[in-house]
Amino acid sequence: MIRVVGGLALAALAAGLVMAFGVAPRETTQGNVQRIMYLHVPSVWVAYLAFAVVLVASITYLVRRLEAADRLAHASAEVGVLFTGLTIATGSIWGKPTWGTWWTWDARLTRVSILFVMYLGYLLLRGMVEDRERGARYAAVLGIVAAFNIPLVHFSVYWWRTLHQPPSLMKPGPGTMPGVIVAALLVNFAAFSLLYVYFVAKRACLLRREAEAA
Amino acid sequence: MADNWGFVLAAYGLAAVVLLSYWRFLARRERTKTHRARPPRARPGVSDPPAPAVSEPLAPTVSEPLAPTSGHPRSKPASRPPLQ
Repeated sequence: MIRVVGGLALAALAAGLVMAFGVAPRETTQGNVQRIMYLHVPSVWVAYLAFAVVLVASITYLVRRLEAADRLAHASAEVGVLFTGLTIATGSIWGKPTWGTWWTWDARLTRVSILFVMYLGYLLLRGMVEDRERGARYAAVLGIVAAFNIPLVHFSVYWWRTLHQPPSLMKPGPGTMPGVIVAALLVNFAAFSLLYVYFVAKRACLLRREAEAA
Repeated sequence: MADNWGFVLAAYGLAAVVLLSYWRFLARRERTKTHRARPPRARPGVSDPPAPAVSEPLAPTVSEPLAPTSGHPRSKPASRPPLQ
């Protein structure tokens, strides 16, 4: 089953690349550098998804003490950190030609960095506490607290004056982007979501095997 | 505005490296787990002697039951000197 999801993710990623480079038109204002959007925006979407899963799994673990929920939270946090790092890196690469700087302490960028560091801390906490049950409990609490950062990241562009543009897709109201760009973005959303499912399933499976072996 | 293809390639290249590295990390870890979970089994090599055609008994046959030992050598009852 995991292999099937992996295969689907690979096919969807290939389709996403075709959409991003072959079908989507060259953006008139930014030129071809705007094609980084098809990588940057799905990455942050997966990061949001991953940390939302950590939140739900952490609550489930604290309420019902299900080992599987703890493993899901752990796996999802790890993949979320991976995609948050990718979001920051690709955003920085996109920022240089469009803003003229690799990095600025803008509200959105700062909040994403805080999110990244908090979940990195979450993973470190898991490794630091020797008692597995206690470590899982502490991590679950941190997983819930850190999730409050997600709306702060998303709405930071509305609440503070920032260099980062407001969302073009994940916002209420009619869209302003051309249909072909939205289609390319949606294909990449699907591809990255499948990749997330594949990574999390594989990682959670490994964690289960490690727990059984211990 | 200039197209800045270098930046586009850098972003996509970095993403490919990061995602492939994570995939390899998972695959390697899975391989290690599978290797550890499997019990060690001797594989017959080229230099190994061929297996005998007739199967031999694995345990030596014992005619009389063995007394439980404490690790000290014990003589047979018939060879022991009578008690004074």
